[in-house]
Amino acid sequence: MPQIKLQSSDGETFAVDVEIAKCSVTIKTMLEDLGMDEEEEEVVPLPNVNSAILKKVIQWATYHKDDPPPPEDDENKEKRTDDISSWDADFLKVDQGTLFELILAANYLDIKGLLDVTCKTVANMIKGKAPEEIRKTFNIKNDFTASEEEQVRKENEWCEEK
Amino acid sequence: MSSMSAQGVVERASAELSKRINVLGLRRDKHSAKGSVMERVTNVFCGGGNNAAVAAPEKPSRLLPAMRGTSKIQGGPHQNHMLVVNKRQHRVQPVYLTWDQLMVDEKFLAKFFTYFSPCERCVLAQVCTRWRDILYRSPRNWTGLFPVLQCRELRSSQMNERARLYSSLLRRGFHCICLMGASDEDAIDLVNSFPLASKHIHNLSLRCSSITDRGLETLLDHLQALYELELAGCNEITEAGLWACLNPRIVSLTLSDCINVADEAVAAVAQLLPGLYEFSLQAYHVTDAALGYFSPKQGSSLNVLRLHSCWEITNHGIVNIVHSLPNLTILSLSGCSKITDDGVELIAENLQKLRSLDLSWCPRITDAALEYIACDLNQLEELTLDRCVHITDIGIGYISTMLTLSALYLRWCSQIRDFGLQHLCGMRNLHILSLAGCPLLTSSGLSSLIQLRHMRELELTNCPGASKELFEYLREHLPRCLVIE
Repeated sequence: MPQIKLQSSDGETFAVDVEIAKCSVTIKTMLEDLGMDEEEEEVVPLPNVNSAILKKVIQWATYHKDDPPPPEDDENKEKRTDDISSWDADFLKVDQGTLFELILAANYLDIKGLLDVTCKTVANMIKGKAPEEIRKTFNIKNDFTASEEEQVRKENEWCEEK
Repeated sequence: MSSMSAQGVVERASAELSKRINVLGLRRDKHSAKGSVMERVTNVFCGGGNNAAVAAPEKPSRLLPAMRGTSKIQGGPHQNHMLVVNKRQHRVQPVYLTWDQLMVDEKFLAKFFTYFSPCERCVLAQVCTRWRDILYRSPRNWTGLFPVLQCRELRSSQMNERARLYSSLLRRGFHCICLMGASDEDAIDLVNSFPLASKHIHNLSLRCSSITDRGLETLLDHLQALYELELAGCNEITEAGLWACLNPRIVSLTLSDCINVADEAVAAVAQLLPGLYEFSLQAYHVTDAALGYFSPKQGSSLNVLRLHSCWEITNHGIVNIVHSLPNLTILSLSGCSKITDDGVELIAENLQKLRSLDLSWCPRITDAALEYIACDLNQLEELTLDRCVHITDIGIGYISTMLTLSALYLRWCSQIRDFGLQHLCGMRNLHILSLAGCPLLTSSGLSSLIQLRHMRELELTNCPGASKELFEYLREHLPRCLVIE
C-alpha cells in the first residue's frame, strides 16, 4: 500500500498508508490539489502537531480506517455523548492537556470522527460544572461586568424544561 | 490581464507558487525535488487556465483568529500557522487554531454546543460573552425550555434591567413566558417594560400568583399574539374574571389549582373559546354538568382533554364528554376516582379516535374496563393505568392483544404477576413500559422482558424483583433500551 511521510513539528517523520492519512481532509485535499504521485515518497510537514500527538492521531486513524464515513452534521440536533465506544474511551484516557491538543489537531487536520469523540469526552468532562469551573478548565477569561453576570445568571437560571 | 502572454502567466504563477511552497516548507530539504512539485502544480493551474486561482484564495474568513493566522504567514514563513495550498477552486483553507482561538471560534463552538442539552447550555451561556452571544443567536439552542420569571426578585431590580431581561428573551427566540408569584403590579410592569410582548409572546403561564381579574385582563389585552394560557395556583382569579378576559384566539388552556374555578369557569371556556384545541383542567369542584357545556364547534376542534383529580366527575360526566367531544384523541381522567368500568365502556364505544388514554388513580377500574379498551380502541398508542389496583393478569391479557399500543404504564398495579408479563412479551410494538412499584413480579418473570426487542424505555423503580443482576442482564440483552432503576 502506498505510503506518505508525515513530519511533526519537532521533526519526527511517520510513514503512514495514504488511505489512512486521507481520513484527514486537510491532508487529502493537499494531496489531491498538488497531484502528488503515489510512488514518490512525499513528506508532508505538519508544523502544528508534535510527535506525541501525531502518533496518537495516527493510532486513532489506523484503528478506525475501515469505519463508514461519518454522517453529515445536523447542528439542529442535540448529540448524544454517552455513546463513546470502549476503544475510544480507553484511547482517550489521557491527561487534559493531551486531550485538548488532540482536539486542536483533529480540528486542524479536519478529522471528523476524532473531533467528534474528543468533543464528546470534553463535553462529558464539563457537564454539571459551574460556569467558573468551566472557565478554569478551559482557561477562559470571565469578561462579564458584575451587572452583566447577574443578568445572564437570571436569564439562564430562570429557564426550566417544559 | 488579457494582454499578458501565456508565458507571463506561467511565470507569475510559478513565482507566486514558489513563495507559497516555501512557506509550506514542503521538501525544503530536497532542492532537486522542489522543482518537480512546482512544475506539477504549475501545470495544474495553467492547464485549468484560471489566473484568478493563482492569487491566494480570498476565502471568506471564518473568524477573527483565522485572519490573525493569515497575517502571521506573511510575516514569517517558518512560524506559519496554516497549511496553505493553492487550488483550482476557492476552497476553505485549513487553519490551525490555538486553544485560546478555538475557545472563541464560532464554527467550532456552534458544533461543540450541540453536545449539550438546552438545560446544560444555560450554564455554558454564563461562561463568557462570546459563548453567550453565540448561544443566544440560535433559538434552536433553547427549544424545550421556557423562562420562569421570579416576580419577587424581578420587582427589586431596575426597570431598565427588566427591559434588558425581556429583550434577551426575544433574542433567544422565546415566545413563551411564565410569571411566578406575580401581582397586579408585576402584570402592569410587564405591559410597560415589555412592549414587544404584544406581538411575540404566544404562550403565557401564571403560577402561584396573587394576580386578580384586573391584572389578568391587562395582560391579556396587551398580549395580542397569545394563543396558549396557563393559570396555576391563581386563587384571586374568579369565574367572572374568566368571562371578562378569555378571548377566542386562545386554543390551548390549562386551569389548575385555582380555588375559584368550578362549573361556571367551564361555561366561560365553552362559550368564549370556540377554537379550543387543548383543555386541561384540575378542579375539585367541577361537576358532571360542566362537561355538557361544550359547543358543537368545540366538538370538532377540541382534541385534547385532561381532567386531573376532578373528584366530582362520575360516569354521567363521561356521557356528556362522549356526546359533546367525539373527536378527542387524547383523554386523561387521572384521579377522577368516581369513574367505573361503565364509564370506560362509554369511552371505548364512542371515542374511537383516541390515541392516548390516562386512567391512572381511578381505583374502581377492573379488568372488565380493559376488555372494552382492547376491543374498541384500535388506534390507542398510549395507555396509563398507574395505581389501578384492581387490575390483574387477566386484564393485562386483554391489553396484550392491542397491536398499536407503544407505551404502557402500569405503575403500582399491585396485583400483576409474572403470568401477566408473559402476555406483554408478545407485544411487538411496545416501546415504553413501566412496571414501577409492582410488588409481585419476580426476577425470572422480569427477565423474560428481553423478548421485547423494540423497547426503548423500561422503568423498574421500586420493583422488589428487580435485582442488580437483573438490570445487568436486561442491559446486556436490550442494548438500545433505557432501563430505569
